[in-house]
Amino acid sequence: MSSHNNNSTSANDPRQPSAAKPYVAQPVSPQDLPVDYSGFIAVIFGIAGVMFRYKLSSWLAIIFCAQSLANMKNVENDLKQISMAMIFVRIRNINNGNYGSIDGPVRPSNRWLD
Amino acid sequence: MDLSSFRLLFLLSLFVTHLSFSHVLADSHFEGFDAEEDDPVEDDILHHHSIPSPPVTQSDSQPLSDLETKSHTDPNPVPTSDPPSQSDLQKPSTTSFDYWDEDEFEGLPIEQPPPEPPKVTETATPDDPESKTTSKPQNATVPKKSFTVEIACGCFLIVFIVNYFTGKRENENLALAWAAKFATKGSIFEKNFSLLGVGEGEDSPLLLKEGQTVFKFYASGRRYCQGLLATMELKSRHDLISRLFNLVVPCKDEITFEVYMNDEAMDQVVFAVAKKKAAKGMQKDVRDLQRFAGLMPTPSGRKWVVDELSVISESKEVAGDLITETVLEQVFGDKAFEKYGKNFISMHFSDQHPGMHRKMMLFKFALPDANHMADITRLVALVPYYIDLIGRYKLSSQARSKTEAARVKAAQEAYKELQNARQEALQRKKAEKKKMLEEAEAKLSAEAARKREAKDRARQMKKGMPRMKMTRAH
Repeated sequence: MSSHNNNSTSANDPRQPSAAKPYVAQPVSPQDLPVDYSGFIAVIFGIAGVMFRYKLSSWLAIIFCAQSLANMKNVENDLKQISMAMIFVRIRNINNGNYGSIDGPVRPSNRWLD
Repeated sequence: MDLSSFRLLFLLSLFVTHLSFSHVLADSHFEGFDAEEDDPVEDDILHHHSIPSPPVTQSDSQPLSDLETKSHTDPNPVPTSDPPSQSDLQKPSTTSFDYWDEDEFEGLPIEQPPPEPPKVTETATPDDPESKTTSKPQNATVPKKSFTVEIACGCFLIVFIVNYFTGKRENENLALAWAAKFATKGSIFEKNFSLLGVGEGEDSPLLLKEGQTVFKFYASGRRYCQGLLATMELKSRHDLISRLFNLVVPCKDEITFEVYMNDEAMDQVVFAVAKKKAAKGMQKDVRDLQRFAGLMPTPSGRKWVVDELSVISESKEVAGDLITETVLEQVFGDKAFEKYGKNFISMHFSDQHPGMHRKMMLFKFALPDANHMADITRLVALVPYYIDLIGRYKLSSQARSKTEAARVKAAQEAYKELQNARQEALQRKKAEKKKMLEEAEAKLSAEAARKREAKDRARQMKKGMPRMKMTRAH
């Protein structure tokens, strides 16, 4: 057995200032970043909101946008995806504004928040 | 802080613009609808005299419709707020009317013809009370339904935003509590490392924040190792949805220490300790453990780690030497583990790590909450202890020859694999080239065949000609 079981951490100072190396952040390529699921879900809900003119799904898209925004690490990278979802929500609103109400001629008051 | 305030602003502005935008849209929407509704009416009543403006047919109809709707609303004022507001909005339109239609009727003519006519004739022709009664229930039923969605989602958003800030603060407090306990003056890392923190200089920040849940602490300047990187991965407390999800699937705050050992300081050691279940998974999934090491049975006649843990090691000798009396006494022994080891997750030493640093030690612990940071003091003390232990550790010649053989074999396999991959790539390239060539050839040959055919035909023609001549001569 050539092991050394003596634990002499306190015997002498283990520090070696000369060997200190400053921290270097390891570069991470955009592909290695974790997938932004909430952004993805937001886009899907956004699209669903546009396609079916379904209000709840647009709201869900906004909520998932907020989640994605809260979880983002890199501002430039992530903002693109989130903005995409937002665009869908927007489109959905515009659509609604133009020919949203299929069933009635005038329905102004209930449209102010969707 | 800048970033977070920016985010808040962004979120809020999104929310506000969303609201305001949709509001504007709603207005324009109902104006547009009025126009749509009234277009066919223009056929019935033709009073074009009121406006001298350019010959846009829709614009002519507008005032009429307004007047008409007014007359609709006037006789019996309805308690619901919608019709009056509508008429209010449209009153001014009669005066400032010319630019109204310019805004309004872009692209409208395309939409109006198909759906409207039957409906409009319905609403226009019958008596007033009837149309009122049809529109009333709509107004009464729809807002109820739509507001529940809006209120629920709006509230959720507000709670989400509030939770974002409180959760963020919680995470920061936890990370700061850890740093205060282990990385300030007179603490364990200060005694062991000469450089603390991610920056350079005396008062560099101790922690590096990545996102809202990951905090990093770096230390360097110690014998046997190049540096140590501690990564705290906390629960996403700032994210309400994950928080709700974590109620169902609980998870822990974790801290991982990566110690980058000096090449000459670490012998050929592959060794890991983890909870029983996790150890099995590690043995299967982690590459170097899978290749070089196996689960160690509990040796008889010797104090060993508690039953909850299992040891993965390349050889018995390594396991025996790395699980020392001190360690058993301090953390892994039967008595100590209950008290000090409950936050232990795993540790893993290897000289065959994939990636940049081949010789590395990994420690993974769960983080207690901010008020009980002292619970992991002994676990954290394992880090410098093992740095020294591994730094001084030398394998016996017997074990070394074994491990050497295993590494040579592994290296050969890796080399072979690489070679295979390279060859495969080469072959694929060759095949592609061949395919390309063949295709080109096929093209060429097709052309050649066509040429030959043409030649043949010419020859045939030539052959045929003299015969003709002959017949003619006859």
